[in-house]
Amino acid sequence: MSTAEDSRYYNDHDDRVGPKFRNRKGRGPFRAPLYSDQVTVGPRSRPRGGPRGGRVPGPRARFDDGDGDVAMSDSSSQDGSSQHRFNPYGRQNRRTDDRFERGRGGGRGRGGNNRGDAAIHNTWFKMSIPHGKKYDKDWLIRGLQNICSVPFTPVHFHTEGNRAQFFVDDSTTANALTRVSRKITDKEGYKVTVLMNPCPPPACLLSELKSADLEHLKQCMAKRFDGSQQALDLNNIRIDPDLVSQNIDVTLNTKNSMRAVNKIIQENIPELVCLNLSNNKLFRLDYLSELVSKVPHLKILNLSHNELKTDRELDKIKGLKLVELWLERNPLCDYFKDQATYVSAMREKFPRLLKLDGQDLPPPIVFDVEDTPAVLPPCKLSYYGSEEIKNAILAFLQQYYSVYDSGDRQPLLDAYHDGAIFSLTVPFTMVNPSRCSLGEYHKDTRNLKKIKDPTTRFRLLKHTRLNVVAFLNELPKTQHDIASLNVDVNTFTNTLLSFTVSGVFKEVEGKSRDSFRAFSRVFITVPAGGTSLCIVNDELFVRNATTEEIRQAFVAPAPTPSSSPVPTLSAPQQEMLNNFSQKSGMNLEWSQKCLQDNEWDYIRAGQVFTDLKAQGKIPDVAFIK
Amino acid sequence: MATGVDFRSLVDASCRYSEEFTNIYYDCMDKKRRTLTRLYLDKATLVWNGNAVSGQAALADFFESLPSSEFSIQTLDCQPVHELATQGQTTLLVVTAGQVKFDGHKQRYFNQNFLLTAQSSPTTDQPVWKIASDCFRFQDWNS
Repeated sequence: MSTAEDSRYYNDHDDRVGPKFRNRKGRGPFRAPLYSDQVTVGPRSRPRGGPRGGRVPGPRARFDDGDGDVAMSDSSSQDGSSQHRFNPYGRQNRRTDDRFERGRGGGRGRGGNNRGDAAIHNTWFKMSIPHGKKYDKDWLIRGLQNICSVPFTPVHFHTEGNRAQFFVDDSTTANALTRVSRKITDKEGYKVTVLMNPCPPPACLLSELKSADLEHLKQCMAKRFDGSQQALDLNNIRIDPDLVSQNIDVTLNTKNSMRAVNKIIQENIPELVCLNLSNNKLFRLDYLSELVSKVPHLKILNLSHNELKTDRELDKIKGLKLVELWLERNPLCDYFKDQATYVSAMREKFPRLLKLDGQDLPPPIVFDVEDTPAVLPPCKLSYYGSEEIKNAILAFLQQYYSVYDSGDRQPLLDAYHDGAIFSLTVPFTMVNPSRCSLGEYHKDTRNLKKIKDPTTRFRLLKHTRLNVVAFLNELPKTQHDIASLNVDVNTFTNTLLSFTVSGVFKEVEGKSRDSFRAFSRVFITVPAGGTSLCIVNDELFVRNATTEEIRQAFVAPAPTPSSSPVPTLSAPQQEMLNNFSQKSGMNLEWSQKCLQDNEWDYIRAGQVFTDLKAQGKIPDVAFIK
Repeated sequence: MATGVDFRSLVDASCRYSEEFTNIYYDCMDKKRRTLTRLYLDKATLVWNGNAVSGQAALADFFESLPSSEFSIQTLDCQPVHELATQGQTTLLVVTAGQVKFDGHKQRYFNQNFLLTAQSSPTTDQPVWKIASDCFRFQDWNS
C-alpha cells in the first residue's frame, strides 16, 4: 500500500506473493507482518518514517496517537511472528477498552459509554481500503457486502489520496469488515485490504445537508409517507437505500439531520398525524421538540428502539396531543419499577394517551379546553348570488370570449365603455415554470410592487376603449376553456356588477403555441340596455397553468365552429374511421364525430376518447352499432 | 370623464392608496385578526373560495374561524373605478396575488381583489377607505 508520501516504495502494492517484508529501511528483525494483517490499525496520512502508512508495530516505534484513539498498547501483535499474522477471528482489537464492548450491542448496553459528550454517543470506525481509489465504488462495496458476515451500509464513502474510505458506526461491523480483508482479489491480481480505525463521528454528519441532498431526502420521505393515513415512517432512515446511494447521511440523532427532516415535514406535510422515529439511536428530543408546534394534528408517535435514557426527554415534546405512543426498548423503560408507574408517568405528560406500547389504556377524563387546530372552510365553485345575475354573466362571457378567441379582438370595442381602463399583471415567479415563459406578457405587466416610477405606472394603465382594445389585440391569440370558467360575483348594485372570472386558456399561435395559461380576471361592468353589460374596468392576471390544471383543461372536446352537414369522406379518412370505430367500439357516427373534432388526428382522437371514456363521459348510445 | 391631468393625479393617488391599503390589510390579517372587520363596510361582502360572507357579524365569525396566517404579497395592481359604476362615490379596485400559509396547512398561492370606497367618517373630517367587497381564491382551489 502506498500512501502518497511513501511512493518511494515501489512494489509496495504488490502483495501477490504473500506478505513480504516491505520495510527495507532499517527496521530490524522484528519487522512486523504487513500492517494489513493488523486489524486494529488504519492507515494514516501522516508522514511517518517507518511503517508505510500503517502502524506496523516496529516495537513501540512511532505510534501515531494523533487522535488518541489508536493505541497499540499490547505487544502481542508486534512480534514479527507469524502466529498473529493471520488471526482474523481472534479478538484482534487490542483495545479491549470498553468502547468495543459498548459498541457491540449497538443498542441498549451503553451504560458505560461515557465520553461525556452528549452529542457524540456513537462509536464510529473509519474503514480504509488502501489503493481503493482505483476501484469502482459499487464493485468495491458490493464485493465487501457479499462476503462480509455483517450487513453494513457505508457512510460517506470517499477517497483520500489513493485510499478509499467510509465509516461504519459499530465495532461488530467494523471487525467483520476487517475479517474480509484480502479476501477479494481485484482484476489485476491484488488483494483488497480493509483496515479499521476508531474515530469521532465523521464531519459530514456535522454539516448541514445541501439543497440537492435535501431534495433527495424529501423524495425519500415522500416514499415513506402514506397520505391516506397521514403517516410518515422514518424507522432507521439512515440505511434507506435511496439516501445511501446518494451518500446522504441522515442520522436523526444529530441536529442537522433532525432539523432538515423537521423542515421538510413543516413545509410539506404539516397535517401529519402519525410519525415513526424508531431505530434512529435518538438519545435526546431537543430537536424533535422544535417540530411540536408545527404539527398540531400529530397524535401517534413511535419512539421505540432508541436511546432515550430518562423520561424527562419526553417533557420536551409535551406539547404534542398524543393519543398513541411507542417507547419500548429505550433505556428509560427500565427505570420504572412497574408498569403502573410507567403508564402513570406517560399519562402525566400526555393526558390524552389511549395506547402505550400497543396496550390500550382506559380513556382519560379531560378538560374541555381543547385548542382544536382550525380548519379551512371547503372551497366551492362559482358564486353568482342569483340566477338572474348568473344568466347575465354567462351570456356576457360566452359572447366576450367567442370574440376574444376569434383571432380578431377588434369587435370588443362594443363591449367596453369609452372611458374603460385595463391593466395586466403577471407574476415573476411561476407556479409551474414550463419551457413556455410568459415573455409576451412581461413587458406590459403592471406590478406596483416592482414598478415604482409613477410615469411607468401610468403608462402601463390602458385608458379609453380604443387603447384597451388595441392592446388586447396585441396579446397572443387564445382559446379559452369556457366550460371550465369559474365566476365569483364580488358586488352588484343597480349601477355596478363586478365579478372575477378564473380559468385556463391555451395560446394558439406563435412561439408560445400550445402553452397553457391560467388567469384571474376582474370585470367591473355597468348595465348596457337589456341584460347586457358594458365594461368599465378590466384587470387581468396571467400565470402558467399547473400540470393539474392542464390535465383538467379542455376535457370536453372544444366545440368546432362549423356545424355544417357531414362532408363526404376521402378514402384515407374512411379507412381511419373504420379503424377508429373498430378500436374504440363506438359506432361510425360517433367515431366520425370524435375524429372530426380532433381534426382527423388519429392519435389525438384516440387519446381524447380514452380520457373521456375513463371519466365515464361517453353515453352508451355511442356504442350501439 | 376625467380630464387628462386629473386622471393622471387620480391614478397616482390610487397607486399610493393601494400600497398603503395592502400593507395595513395583510398586517392586520396576520397579526391583529380580531380588528380586521373594522376595515370593512357594514354591508360588505366577502366571497372566499366561493363561500359568501356578508355583514360585520358574519365577517367577524368567519375571520375568527380561520387559522392564523402568514401572507406574502407578490403582485399588486390597482385601478380607479369609473364613476359611472359608483354613482360618484370614489372607488378603487385593488388586485393582489401571492402566497399564504395558514397554520397547520401547506403554503398556497392565491388571487384576491377588493373594491374600496371612500366613506365619510363620523369621527374625523377626513374620509376613510372601507372595503366594500373582497374576493379571495386559492389558485389551486380545485385540487
